[in-house]
Parts: sequence; C-alpha cells; structure tokens
Amino acid sequence: MEMWHSPVGSQKSKEAVLYSMKSKKDVQPGTLALMVLKTLDVLGPLHGYGIARRIEQISGDQLFVNQGTLYPVLLRLEQEGAVESDWGPSQNNRRARFYRLTRAGRKLLETEKRDWELTAAIIARFFEVKAEDLA
Amino acid sequence: MRTLNRFLIRLRNLVTGRRGDQRLREELEEHAALQTEENIRAGMHPEEARRRAQLKLGGVESVREQYHAEEGLPLVEHLICDLRFGLRQLKKSPGFAATAVLTLSLGIGGVTAVFSVVYAVLLRPLPYPQASRLVVLHEAMAHFGGAANLSAPDVPVYQRNSHAFTAVAGFIGEGYDVTGAGEPFRADAERVSAQMFPVLGVAPLLGRRFTRQEDENSASVAVISYSLWKERFGGSQHVLGRTIDLDLRPYTIIGVMPRGFETPSGLGAIAAHDLWVPLSLTPTELKNEANDLDYGAVARLKAGVTMAQAQQDAERVLKIIQAKVPEAHLSISLAGLKKQTVQDARPLLRTLLGAVVLILLIACANLANLLLVRAAGRRREFGMRMALGAARKTILRQLLMESLLLSTAGGVAGLGMAAAAVHWAGAVLPGSLPRLGAIAIDWPVALLASGLVGATGVACGLAPALASAKADVLDSLREGGQSTGQGRSQHRLRSALVVGEMALALLLLVGAGLLLRSFARMMETNPGFRPERTVTASVALPKQAYPTQEKVDEFFRNLGARLQELPGVTEVGFGSNIPVVGRNSSRLFAAQDYVRRPGESFSIASNYLTTGEYFRALKIPLIEGRYFSAADDAVGAPLVVIVSQSLAKRYFAGRDPIGMHIKVGPNYQYRMPPMQVVGVVGDVSDNPVGGKQDFEMYEPLSQLAADLGPMGALIGTKGNMHAVVRTTGDPQALEGELRRVVHQANPTLAVTDVQTMEEVMSSTEAPRRFNTWILTSFAAIALGLAMLGIYGVLAYAVTERTREIAIRMALGATRGEVERRTLGGAMALGLMGVGVGLAASVALTRYLASLLYEVKPLDGLTLAGAVVVLLACAATAALLPARRAASVDPMQALRSE
Repeated sequence: MEMWHSPVGSQKSKEAVLYSMKSKKDVQPGTLALMVLKTLDVLGPLHGYGIARRIEQISGDQLFVNQGTLYPVLLRLEQEGAVESDWGPSQNNRRARFYRLTRAGRKLLETEKRDWELTAAIIARFFEVKAEDLA
Repeated sequence: MRTLNRFLIRLRNLVTGRRGDQRLREELEEHAALQTEENIRAGMHPEEARRRAQLKLGGVESVREQYHAEEGLPLVEHLICDLRFGLRQLKKSPGFAATAVLTLSLGIGGVTAVFSVVYAVLLRPLPYPQASRLVVLHEAMAHFGGAANLSAPDVPVYQRNSHAFTAVAGFIGEGYDVTGAGEPFRADAERVSAQMFPVLGVAPLLGRRFTRQEDENSASVAVISYSLWKERFGGSQHVLGRTIDLDLRPYTIIGVMPRGFETPSGLGAIAAHDLWVPLSLTPTELKNEANDLDYGAVARLKAGVTMAQAQQDAERVLKIIQAKVPEAHLSISLAGLKKQTVQDARPLLRTLLGAVVLILLIACANLANLLLVRAAGRRREFGMRMALGAARKTILRQLLMESLLLSTAGGVAGLGMAAAAVHWAGAVLPGSLPRLGAIAIDWPVALLASGLVGATGVACGLAPALASAKADVLDSLREGGQSTGQGRSQHRLRSALVVGEMALALLLLVGAGLLLRSFARMMETNPGFRPERTVTASVALPKQAYPTQEKVDEFFRNLGARLQELPGVTEVGFGSNIPVVGRNSSRLFAAQDYVRRPGESFSIASNYLTTGEYFRALKIPLIEGRYFSAADDAVGAPLVVIVSQSLAKRYFAGRDPIGMHIKVGPNYQYRMPPMQVVGVVGDVSDNPVGGKQDFEMYEPLSQLAADLGPMGALIGTKGNMHAVVRTTGDPQALEGELRRVVHQANPTLAVTDVQTMEEVMSSTEAPRRFNTWILTSFAAIALGLAMLGIYGVLAYAVTERTREIAIRMALGATRGEVERRTLGGAMALGLMGVGVGLAASVALTRYLASLLYEVKPLDGLTLAGAVVVLLACAATAALLPARRAASVDPMQALRSE
C-alpha cells in the first residue's frame, strides 16, 4: 500500500524512489499547471493520458510525474476557467475526457510564461556573475 | 477574479455535496488502459504492462483525496466534521452542556446588561458638543447642606463679571397651563437665559432661539420641544409665529429644538422639557438676595481655561456678592456638568457593576471547574484515541471546537438575556437614574464579556487536554486516567476555584444582606405621619384667575368643604408641600433670641403653607400647643407658625417654644413681621434615604402675604397646593371623586398627581427596593453557581475515589464515616471560602455605605447570616455526592476496577 502514497513534492516511499531513479527530477509545485497549459496550447485538445505522455516526451523523460496528480491540477485549471473539458472518443473508441485551452487559459499562459522567463533571467544572471563584475 | 470564481464553484460543490468521483474514476481507468496498451505495444507482458501503468499513475486513493480537496473546501469540511463531533459529544452529556451554557450566559448576559446601563448613564458623553467644557455653578452656605444652585440676583452678577466662560446661562424650572394648542395641559417648562442654547451648543431645528434683548425685555416668546411640536402641531412648518397661552398669557413660538434635546435641570440632572421661555428675572426675583438657592447656572469654559482657573474667576466674582450679604457665608464651586449629572447614580451603578463582575468571575471559575472535571474524566478517551493513531492536533482541534460550541451557545443565550434585561430595565430601573432613555445594548462590552468567558472556556478546555496529550499514552491508559500526580494537582486547582467561588458568593451575600437590612430598617422607620388611607392631588390655580390671596383662600376653603362632604372622608387639608412631593422648598428663618455659633450661616427650614386640616389629615402628631384654627384665617389675626420638634429643640433649646417668635429672613434684625410659635409637631422624615433630618415650619396659607412682609409679592399667593384627603374607605376609590369635585369647583383647572399617599411613599422606596432586589438576585445567582461548583468538585472526587472508598469500607469504615468525610471535605472548602470572603467583605463593604440606611457596612448580624447561608448551601450541595460515596458497594467497586 505504501507506494501509492507518493504525491509530488512530498516524501517518497522507498519503492517510489527506486522507480524514479536518481536521473529523474521531481516537478516543482506549480510548474505542472504551466506545462499542462503549454502542452494544450501547442497540441490542441488532449485527454489526460495524452497530456501526461507529451509532458514526459517534451521533458525528455527527465521528469518524474506521478501521473495521477495531473487530474487535480486539471480540475483546478478548469475551475479557474483556463481549460474546458468534454467527453470524446479516445484512440480505441472508448470514452475519454478531452481538455481544451480557453481564451482565459491562453492569457494565463502568457502571463505565467512572462513571469517564468523573468524569474529565469534573473536567476541566470546570478549564475553568470563573477567576482570581478562586482568590484 | 479567477480565485473568486474558483471559490464560488468550490463553495457550490461543498453546499450541494456534488462530487466528481465517477468522472475521476473513469478518467483514471482510461488513463491506465491507454498506458497499459502502450506498454504492451512496447513489448511488455500484459501483466507487467498493467503493473507498470498502475505504478506510473500513482496511488489512486491519494489522487482521489487531492482531487476531492481541489473540488471542495477541505478546511470547511473538517470544521463541519469537528462541529458534528463536538455536538455529538455534548449531546452525550446534556447535563454538563446545559450547566456550562447556563453559567456562560449568566456571566455574559449579566455583565453586558449591567454595563449597558452603566455606559448609558455614566460613560456616554452628554448630548452636547464638547460637553466636557460645560460646568455648573453652585453656591453653598457654610454649615448648611451641600452645594445648591444660585440665588436669582447672583445669576446676572456671574453673567456680567466672569471672564473664564464664553457665557453663563441661568435656568429655573416652571410649570405652565398651556391653552391654545389643542386640549389644555400642564407644560413642564424651563425659563432659561438667551445664552443657554449657545452655551450648550445646540441650534434650533426650526426657527431661531431667543435673543439677549428678548431675554432682557421679558419678551413673550417660546421655543418648543420636538415632541411637543409633533404632538400638538403635527410637525407643521407653520408652527413658527403661532401663539400659545402659558398661564393665559400669549407667547409666540419662535423655534423648535431638535429631537431629544435636553437642558440642565434642577440640581444635577439634564432633562427634557416641553418648552423654553426667556429667564427674564423679575425685579422681585432680583431683590431676593441670598435666599432660595434655586436658580441653576451652566457655563462653557473658554478655550484654554482650566477648571482651576475658572474656579478662581468665580471666587473673584463671589467677592462682589459677598460684599452685599456677608452673613450668608457663601461659597462657590464649579462642577463638570457631566460629573454632576451622574453623581447620584454613581454608588448604585458601581455596586451593580461590582456585583456583576463578581458573577462573571464566579461564572468563569465555575466553567473552568466544569471543563477541568470533564477533561480529567476524558483522559482515558484521549489516551485511547491517540493509541489508535489520532494526531494530537486533531484531538486539540476537536476540543477547541467543543469549547467554541459551548461559548457560542452561552454567548448567544447571554446576549438574549442581556437584550431582555435592557429592554425591561427601562421599566424597572429607578426613575432617579439620569439619562435612562439612552440605554441600549453595548456591543463592545458584549463582545468583551463573551471573549473573556470564551477564553476561559477554551483555556480550561484545552489545558488539561494538552497536558494529557503530552503525558505518556500508555500511562494514561494503564492508570485508567486516575490517581496520577497530575490528577492531584488538578484536584488542588479545582478546590482552589471552588474556594474562590465561595468567597465571591459570600461577598455578594453580605452585600445583599446589608441592603436587605437597610430596607427593613427603612420600612420600620416612622415617617412622622400616617400615609395609609389618604389621597393626594395637586391643584394649580392660574394667577390671572386668582390674583389675590383672598381669592386663593376662598377657593381652597370652598374645595375643602366640598371634599369634606364626600362619603367616608374624615379630614381634608392642603399644603404647599407634602412629604416627598415638592419637598425642595426651603427658606431662611431667624428664631427669636437665638445666637448663631461662630461661623454658622443662615437657618433654613422646609416650609409648608397649609390650610384646612392638614395635620389631622396626615396625622402629624401635636407635641405641644395647638394646630392652626379657623381663627388664624381671620383678617388681621396675629401671625402664627408651627414648628417641628427638632427645630424647637435646636433653636429654642431649654426654653418653652410656645410664645416665642420666628421671622422669615436671614436674621432677626431684618424688618420682617414676627410670627408667634403656637404649636410644636412631630418631625416628618419623608425621605430616610437622604438621612439628614431637616427642620420644618408651617404657616397658615391665609397669612402668607403678611408673613413675608415686603417680600410677599415674590412668593405670590401660592395657588399651587397639594390636597390631602383622609378617608375611612378605600383611598384609591376616592381618586376619581377628588378629580370630579375639583372640576365642579372650576372646570378649567388641571388636577395632577392624583395618587394615594402610600404610592407617594413607595416612589421614594423604589430605588432602594430596586437596589435590594437586584443585589439579592445577584447573590442568589452567585450562590447557585457556587453550589454548582462545590457539587461538581465533590461529585467528581467521589467518582475518582470510588476505589479508595471501597477499600476503606472493606477495611471497616462505616457508611456514616464515609459520608461525614465527604461532607467534611465540602465544609473545609466552604470554611476556606468563608475566610477569604470575610476578609474581602471587610475590605469592600464600605463602598456600599452610601446605599445603606442605619446599617453599618460591617454589620455583625449580616455577616453571620451570610456565613450561615453559605455553609448551609455548601452542605446541601455536598449532600448528594456524600450519599453517593456512602452507598458505594465495596465488592462491586473493587471488582469493576
């Protein structure tokens, strides 16, 4: 039972750690939503599994996502009006829930993107700085 | 916006209980299926593929929890859960819950209600801008009474010569028969200086105030009150310029004051009046030097002037007055209007506030006790729950919720009680309290009291739980939650709380006892007359219709004869004053051959002008000489006076007062006609609350003008008299008859204040009755709470020590011994409480002194009585637990452990 209790960002059980292996990185809290938004922006409507796979692919299998945690994030985005969802046929003609970016979602993505870039730029500058630059 | 949207959706989900479980399950299943298929495509064994897929998806339960948390509002859900749990817990012990809520509501409700009254009466600012700058001027005569108002001629002296005030305004109450505004009625009016309105800083709502010129020229203009305007003029704008007749003299209405406007009135009060007219002191009033300190003066301090500077200034002005009447030994003092307004109410309200704070303390102690006992009893439960994996945090949160539930229920009940009490206070509080109309629930205090009690509840509910949560889980289980060191210290704490409660209850008992004894003493006091079977009424003759003394005398003679004919009526008399009512008329007199002690000021007596059988109607006993007779009313009859026993003793010491003479005026050399003392009657002590014995002098109404000599015109003909009618039948039945007869005599007259003399008397007792009653009920509540406390502690101690008791009994202790031991424990607590309480009483009862009558603050009988009552109550409260202890079956108790 223990292994089922391994939400993102929290203390992981031994098995989960084994599975994730050292090369993989935990998703930082809050960034998962951004990844979902960007994925939907680029690829159009997708079901939950599709989103999870794309994120895995795009991150080059370097990220560890406990894929179940995607769904609370999706719900949250939907409540915020950033995405809409509807039932639709999946590849093998079963029913799946498809998520689509709304206009508000696109705007949110823009803002988040700008914030993220700004943060990244600032952090980058800190790493580039050398002692003589500050003299 | 986004956040709000989301919150609303979550709230809706929470309220409707909507859950997307089905959707999530489907999505997760689909997710796993897709992943499995992909894994199989990648060449995995189906079994392994499914396992990997599940692994990658993560814990379904955890996801579901997270999902659900996003869906609704988990914090609220937990709270609701705790709330339900708390309610269930309380429902399981309804006795505890009811006691706690009752205790809380008594504390909160009592404090809120009493403080609301205190706030309205004592603390709320007066309804004037910068009211703290308003002062009242008082003159006093050495060796006589306290500070009084000013004499009429002094008012303009202060107005003209003071530098410390923006203005000084004089005022004096006056009654007028109003005609020309609907049904004739008697108006409660006030003559005020033109400066009154600017000094108070209140402008008329409509029209204007009167000017200084109008004041000086005795202009017939009137400013009316808001309520008179509404009632008599329908709130019409056209009221300005209309004419009304005051005592048949036409006055023009020039202004309407705002709603609720009050003016300073009498000594130490502000009150509403029907209308205001210019003070316009008459030449005769202005002649009346150092007499009748009846004219109020209120002033506003100039900016930057301190009270001390103003006092100096007033003393400087006083020198001008003293130069004219040196023998008056006048002094002047200033008092803040606010301070002055509430002065008389202060001792009563302080006492009430003190009493109610004691109740609050007792309530807190009691609640603490209840919760401590309960928490101690639940240590085992806490231990068990923690052993089963409950987080300490969860247990604390639930306990907190329980305490909050109790506090809320208590608070709501308490506020309900306060609202009811405040509503009902208007009717019950003694009318002598100033500014009663302004009472409303004082919310800050309600919150404060609720907070205090709530905090007690939370602290007492949580502290033991915290302690037991810290203690070893195993220990609390193994010991069965009993007899650890912690238990003992808790027991000590609870005992201390009970001792405190008993002490506080004793304090309240002593207070109530003192007031009860005062009340009894007062009821025993002989007022000097017999109030039973007498009816009084006041009749006012308009001066225009009865301009001369003869006309006035004739009217009352005539009225007396008509009343005398009524069946059952034995005596009829009239007095310008009667005991209690219209008491405030007093005058200077000088006794023949009396030598003033050095520094002694004027002699002052309450004066009564009488006609008819006044003494016989009131049954005021004759000590010496004779009552007045018809012969005294004859034209040119010698001037006569009757004095009270104490006056005779004081001013004719060692001589026979009969045949001695008295003059009206500041000294015997004054050119006033001497009046011969023809009788000495018993003292009339109509207001024992005041305590001080006044002197009385009586004169026949018919001799009024002659008695006063040159000053006769000032007092006038005394057309306002009180009838006193004694009957053999039911005095109440006579009231209608009395009214009818007066109307027969003159249909235009207003008859007011028709009541039996006993009603008149009870109106003076009312404040004391109220004080006594309220403090007694407070004491009863306190006693009840303390009994509850002692019962709680003992009952718990007995349960806790069942095993010990059983062992004792098994070893040979008899049931009687066990019962005595338990009772003994209660008595020990009671005695300790008595000790502390007595010490507190000795320290505190002197603050009650001003409310007591002929009882010392440390009255032995009262103290002893309170102690006996308290111990008896403690014993009663202990009886049940003691019985229970004695009925312990040793075999069963030992086996069940």
